[in-house]
Amino acid sequence: MTAHILSRMVSAEFLKLRRRRSLLWWSLILCCLTVPVVYAVLAVLHVTDAAHYGPAGGAENLGHSLEALSLLGGIAGVMIGATAGAGDLGAGVFRDLVATGRSRLALFGVRLPGALALFVPLIIAGLAIATVCSILLAGSLANPSATLVLHYAAWLLVATTLPLILALGISSLLGSRTITVGVLLGWQLAAGPILGQLGFLGRLRDGISVLATDRLLPVPSGRGGDVAASMPLAVALVVIAAWAAVALGAGAWRTRTMDA
Amino acid sequence: MTTLPLRGDHGAFAIETLGLTKRFGARAAVDSVDLRVPTGCAFGFLGPNGAGKTTLIRTVLGLTPASAGTVSILGLPQPDQRVAALAQVGAIIEEPRFHRHLTGRENLAVAAAVRGPEAEGRIEAVLERVGLSDRAAERVGAYSMGMRQRLGIARCLLSDPALLILDEPMNGVDPAGIHELRRMFRDLVDEGRTVFLSSHLLDEIEKTCDAVAIVDQGRLITQGLMSEVAGPVKNTVVIGCDDPERARILLGNHRAVRGVTTAAGRLHVQLVSGNDAAAAVNRTLVEAGLAVFHVEPERVSLEDRFLEITSRLGVAS
Repeated sequence: MTAHILSRMVSAEFLKLRRRRSLLWWSLILCCLTVPVVYAVLAVLHVTDAAHYGPAGGAENLGHSLEALSLLGGIAGVMIGATAGAGDLGAGVFRDLVATGRSRLALFGVRLPGALALFVPLIIAGLAIATVCSILLAGSLANPSATLVLHYAAWLLVATTLPLILALGISSLLGSRTITVGVLLGWQLAAGPILGQLGFLGRLRDGISVLATDRLLPVPSGRGGDVAASMPLAVALVVIAAWAAVALGAGAWRTRTMDA
Repeated sequence: MTTLPLRGDHGAFAIETLGLTKRFGARAAVDSVDLRVPTGCAFGFLGPNGAGKTTLIRTVLGLTPASAGTVSILGLPQPDQRVAALAQVGAIIEEPRFHRHLTGRENLAVAAAVRGPEAEGRIEAVLERVGLSDRAAERVGAYSMGMRQRLGIARCLLSDPALLILDEPMNGVDPAGIHELRRMFRDLVDEGRTVFLSSHLLDEIEKTCDAVAIVDQGRLITQGLMSEVAGPVKNTVVIGCDDPERARILLGNHRAVRGVTTAAGRLHVQLVSGNDAAAAVNRTLVEAGLAVFHVEPERVSLEDRFLEITSRLGVAS
């Protein structure tokens, strides 16, 4: 298979996602529009009651806003990943694509770059908006340094693309977008964080994907708790890579072996 | 009835299966089928609902693995040369399905991206060929079933296929559309392609196809040229006249007649030979003062043949 065919297949995946209007709008809202709204509210509070509310911007508030963006962007990532993974099956065109003779692994393999082509620009735009707001509204607070912003960017990309990858793999495995979104949002927003609070699980909690990504935060937050803070960086990277590999492996296996 | 002389230049059949079997648990959906689809013809694939038609197509295309037997497509053994074979095949399985949120043209672009750059260059031409150029910018969700069928055929044509496998392509198409499709299928055959039509519309198959196979309960019941399966019954004519009973008595001892029966006011006359005997019989009736208003060769339609075969199987089982 030539690079040209591969790039056209990735473009086709991107087209399939981009033309889903509701998916695009919700992703846009979650990644790009919510953060400036939050900054606007904080700015209004600061202007109306400066004694109780500090400036909306600054490095610390950037961290808070990006943690929120990681949650919202993670939701968008789950939606995009689940759609990319189960879109062909749901539409009933998977068998037509298989009947072209093209490798099933190639059909699966182009889903991820196609999904990332839609998602990554959105999340980077959200990051850029948050950074600009944090600088413009810093007031007396310290501006975030370029190093800090880059560190946050790296963490944000990992924290939001991992749910996308998990969703893509699981929806390819299950063949259902709806079930995948439900399961993963439950894991990301509820089950993962709750398990992280169960002390009797000990170091088993290192295997929780949400906590592993929180370990990459440039400034430790309360969200990951002691587990994320004490997790060795190498362990966090291995856990993240393992989650991604297992999800993609399961999706690829199912795509390769299922009856079309 | 297994003599199918039509073969391509390379001597291979468009589709050839030997002992092809597909089991789901203990049930054989396709049971030891030896199918030979000649190249360069329209081939009808008939069977009642649940006969195993779609399962056989899916197995031939490698969408589901066979339990036993061999398959070759255009002379290329499967699955060893699957990529090379399927590059020359366009297929609609069960019904044409598309991304409903994409336009017709975008759906073809998605399929063409998987096929390769040559296919991308054919998008406008195939849209024109199936008469969808004017509607190609509309979302497929707004298409009628007939339009989706035509778009499905357009998708098949993207690969400039030597073999088209179309599962129930007439479903949801209005009579004018069916007429257009029939003409298109014949044009495709005239271009040297093989068109494999799976359908339950017996009349359409009879009008469109050169050869036919009938399956039931997963088994291949018969296959052959259409003229062998359906068509004129050798040396038999149907005669209409003003006094069928007197005519029957007159022909009972006629030297050109082997046997005569009446049904629905018509005489069904088995002749000892062809046209001369028919002329002699007609002359006898006219000279006896009978008014003969109808003489034609007796035909067995594909529908008669199909019902005869499938009802016989029903009784047997």
